[in-house]
Amino acid sequence: MSGPAALRVVPGGQAPNRFAARLAEGPGELRADVVNTLQVNVGKRCNQACRHCHVDASPTRTEVMPDDVVEACLDVLARDPDIETLDITGGAPEMHPRFRHLVTRARELGRRVLVRHNLTIQAEEGHGDLPQFFVEHGCEVVCSLPHYTAEATDRQRGRGVYEASIAGLRALNAVGYGRGEGLVLDLVANPVGAFLPPAQEDLERDTRDYLESRHGVVFDHLFTITNMPISRFAQWLDRAGLYDQYMDRIEQAYNPATVPALMCRTLVSISWDGRVFDCDFNQMLDMETGEGTAPLTVHGLDTKALANRLIQTAEHCFGCTAGAGSSCGGAIT
Amino acid sequence: MGAYFDDKDLAHFGDLKEHAPELWEMFEKYYGEAFQPGLLTKREKVLIGFAVSQSSQCPYCIDSYTQQALEQGLTMKHLGEAMHATASLKAGIALAHALPAHNIDKKVSM
Repeated sequence: MSGPAALRVVPGGQAPNRFAARLAEGPGELRADVVNTLQVNVGKRCNQACRHCHVDASPTRTEVMPDDVVEACLDVLARDPDIETLDITGGAPEMHPRFRHLVTRARELGRRVLVRHNLTIQAEEGHGDLPQFFVEHGCEVVCSLPHYTAEATDRQRGRGVYEASIAGLRALNAVGYGRGEGLVLDLVANPVGAFLPPAQEDLERDTRDYLESRHGVVFDHLFTITNMPISRFAQWLDRAGLYDQYMDRIEQAYNPATVPALMCRTLVSISWDGRVFDCDFNQMLDMETGEGTAPLTVHGLDTKALANRLIQTAEHCFGCTAGAGSSCGGAIT
Repeated sequence: MGAYFDDKDLAHFGDLKEHAPELWEMFEKYYGEAFQPGLLTKREKVLIGFAVSQSSQCPYCIDSYTQQALEQGLTMKHLGEAMHATASLKAGIALAHALPAHNIDKKVSM
């Protein structure tokens, strides 16, 4: 079977699939380590509708994390001191009505808080003070910028997004972000099409030179991320007749050296409705954590019991193991 | 054979090995080594590949080196500059080859 539908037919457990077969050749199973990051997807609402979005997020989506699930996420942090980082994503997570409460409480619990920020949300009503809010709460801000040129970024994220993104970066720089003084501003770049990202250090250098010389913008690090063949990007690949070619490309680039540092080994992902997943990508494919057992929820979740679990895999996992590897923190090797 | 050039051919480039395996292996090693980063970066070598592909009018190579350039973080803006650098040099070469006309005219005309 080929096409995006193939990825959605995944029985429980580590079902036989091409990724599991390559994994068996080396290094073997994919098992979790101790969970040190709680990644919370607070919902699918977003002020943008990017062409590559694996969440299918847009302004018309209505999925928003209920208050009791937000509190259950905070309870997990309070219970498990091994969880050092709260990683908040979406959609545009800042659109969630309890976003600021979640950040504030997590910081009070002494956790590092990382916000996946699309920059353009700053231009929306009620969000103009986000840079100041991030400063006051010591958030690390991870900003999406597919490419340092306007034409590439706008082609993926929509007309005018580049200009608004530069304005957002300048606002973050103005309050001290990205200047190497402790307020961390990182960029995430992903290919604008059906190909793998460039070497992370090369793109970071080019982006730094370009943004500083043309726009006076500075940042700390740039992470490259491979586009995941799921949801909106998979649909685009299918329409363009590129799905099989892309799957072959990421499979051919399988690099077993990336496996030990895959983000799913140290992260647990919570969906807007409180379900538990091994990563945000599995979340979008409804591949819940667990080996044929009753589905887990964040309510009363014992994250320590998730150490050493088998990670659910399917062919999309080749996206994280291709070439230098890909994770929410960029290249792996 | 439906067409002389087919994009599916690119995946079968290596089939040529069967006709002269030892020479093919020497070519593969030479080609592979020549494109390794050295004093020139991988990206600079990919751009050379793109320019030679365009100049040599090889559709297989243009396909391959465009995709390699994109994977090096380059965009069509970069390749747009590269293709005009290549095309202008080709124009200069064509003009340079007209010099004999100038020279012969000087020689034989009064």
